[in-house]
Amino acid sequence: MFSFIKKYATTISGIDLYPSISLVIFVTLFVAMFLFVIKANKKYIQELENIPFHD
Amino acid sequence: MEIEKFSYDNRYTRNFAIATFVWSLVGMLVGLIAALQLLIPELNFIEQATFGRLRPLHTNAVIFAFVGNGIFMGVYYSLQRLCKTRMWSDTLSAIHFWGWQLIIVAAAVTLVFGFTSGKEYAELEWPIDVAITIVWVVFGINIFGTILTRRERHLYVAIWFYIATWITVAMLHIVNSMAIPVNILKSYSMYAGVQDALVQWWYGHNAVAFFLTTPYLGLMYYFLPKAAGRPVYSYRLSIIHFWALIFLYIWAGPHHLLYTALPDWAQSLGTVFSVMLLAPSWGGMINGLLTLRGAWDKVRDDVVLKFYVVAITAYGMATFEGPLLSIKSVNAISHYTDWTIAHVHVGALGWNGFLTFGILFWLIPKLFQTELYSRKLANIHFWLGTLGILFYVVPLYWAALAQWSMLRQFTPEGILKYPNFIETVTAIMPMYYLRAFGGSLYLIGACFGVWNLIKTAKQGKFLANEDAEAPALPKTYETHSNEHWHRWIERKPIQLLLLSFIVVGIGGVIEFVPTFLVQSNIPTIASVKPYTPLELQGRDLYIRDGCYVCHSQMIRPFRAEVARYGDYSKAGEFVYDYPFQWGSKRTGPDIAREGGKYPDSWHYNHMDDPRTMSPGSIMPPYPFMLENDLDISTTESKIRAMQILGVPYPKGYEKIANQDLEKQAKKIQANLKKDGIETSEKKEIIAMIAYLQRLGTDLKPNETPTK
Repeated sequence: MFSFIKKYATTISGIDLYPSISLVIFVTLFVAMFLFVIKANKKYIQELENIPFHD
Repeated sequence: MEIEKFSYDNRYTRNFAIATFVWSLVGMLVGLIAALQLLIPELNFIEQATFGRLRPLHTNAVIFAFVGNGIFMGVYYSLQRLCKTRMWSDTLSAIHFWGWQLIIVAAAVTLVFGFTSGKEYAELEWPIDVAITIVWVVFGINIFGTILTRRERHLYVAIWFYIATWITVAMLHIVNSMAIPVNILKSYSMYAGVQDALVQWWYGHNAVAFFLTTPYLGLMYYFLPKAAGRPVYSYRLSIIHFWALIFLYIWAGPHHLLYTALPDWAQSLGTVFSVMLLAPSWGGMINGLLTLRGAWDKVRDDVVLKFYVVAITAYGMATFEGPLLSIKSVNAISHYTDWTIAHVHVGALGWNGFLTFGILFWLIPKLFQTELYSRKLANIHFWLGTLGILFYVVPLYWAALAQWSMLRQFTPEGILKYPNFIETVTAIMPMYYLRAFGGSLYLIGACFGVWNLIKTAKQGKFLANEDAEAPALPKTYETHSNEHWHRWIERKPIQLLLLSFIVVGIGGVIEFVPTFLVQSNIPTIASVKPYTPLELQGRDLYIRDGCYVCHSQMIRPFRAEVARYGDYSKAGEFVYDYPFQWGSKRTGPDIAREGGKYPDSWHYNHMDDPRTMSPGSIMPPYPFMLENDLDISTTESKIRAMQILGVPYPKGYEKIANQDLEKQAKKIQANLKKDGIETSEKKEIIAMIAYLQRLGTDLKPNETPTK
């Protein structure tokens, strides 16, 4: 089974595109996360950080 | 809104807590015995307790028994309270608890009896791997059941860490454990050589990341604010910490393989991501320490906070050192020396050990509705532990630098100044004594800690079911008009699970796909041939006795290493190595090109008692290999497994393999006889000699053994 996958995947053209895709995903994810963290409102953050004290 | 009444289950939190401190003592004790065996080789007196078997037992016990139970203890306590609901199923909790303990016992027994897959931190054989998968799935169902029936809308950041841990450990365990079984307790890794090394260290590094780090960060984000009585310093930072950490960690594995035969691009990838890891790791550490801002006066009085402060500081030190060690020039020193051992013990003793004991000192009084039995005793534990860590790690840093500098010194004439590896070992023995002393201090401290916890439990009354109440979660959630996308994730555990999986999956795919698929990454060498049946059997003895724990089979392209061990290792030399045996630590010399260096009789005497051939050696003696008969009934199934994996033995060879095995064995027997050693050709030592004499000879076929 393993050699079967290997045989076909070896011939994928443009496999060198993989690293570029990963870079795009990486940058997108981090930009989106930073935007969220910066824009999140204070009350909401306070609500979240106090969850451990609600028990 | 209707208030619902329910109760938290404390029984399994308590059970996991007991398991945590029981296994902590076992794991540390085995570690101490192993440390003493390096000082007094005579302590390797029985086959089942030689260093090569005890060291994997020590690492497995500390990682999966001590820290593993510590994770479950913390998750079972915090998850219920963060979700305001009881654990989803008491039955699953029971199966999880007892299943995990059974796995630990099975692991301990099989490891000492030599059943091992030979892959570091994943040594357990395939039936146990299957059991781990089942119990891990049970754990997953139980936590997701709990999360899905929660009464708190938002998932606190600790839960994100738990979810990422669960999915990533599942992925790592399954991918790395892929193997072809030979029989009920023996299997061969499905990957060979360079590919096996890459998968193994992708796993090995992320076992550190997702078993020793992310779940413990989750625990830190819950138990530290609880003990300090104030919320985490910056919740925003914890969000960045989470995503950045899980995204970067998964790529860092190849930093364990710098300067090896792994393709260069993969090594660079590992370095870059490891250096970047410093940012989220220190973000997390700073977040932890600053949670105590304005509460430092409490640290003076509260022993729990003291443990936390040292734990988080150790986390900061270890995660500063990690990126440092991933830089190639620093890695050249640390890899194969005691630096790595020191580094992991900053993490294990400081971060995991101290955070666990801090949690235990806070949790046990809560569960037993009482106060800690003795604060004084806890303080003694704290200081013994802190001193223990220092006495453990500082001498090992020294040992690493001293040995490294000795190994690479040349005389003005251009030859190695210390050609005998043993000289460099003898020089650092005092450091090994100090390390054992440090380990003893830490263990004694832990004994005080456990005694303190037992006394605490005895003076209190256990609360099995803790009553609680909370409003039910409304079925529909009113979205705010300006709701942000991230809220969509953190309210939805399944989305969080999938996104975490994608994030950690990408790293694995990008690393593996090219190594597995692009054939030019591993150039084949025509003269590299599969092992003969006798060599294959010998190789399995090498794996059984954990020789890889102290001997590497990977010569790096440095002048000093090439001069000492021979030509540097090439990727194509390992294509039939299921599993690879590059090793990660040289307590003894590299043996990648051992074949032909010494006559057969040297190996015979050396295995019987290393000190007769190499005075001052700290290698365990293996007299039992001279006594035990080699089990050749397995040859056929082993060759067949190799054929399935793609090793080019001729068709039908498995049936006649034992004939070749006996022929080769007789030849070695005759060689030994010439040197005055009378032995049967059926003994294990014959196979061992065959394997050792084969090592590295594919690239120098015309050389004959010389004295």
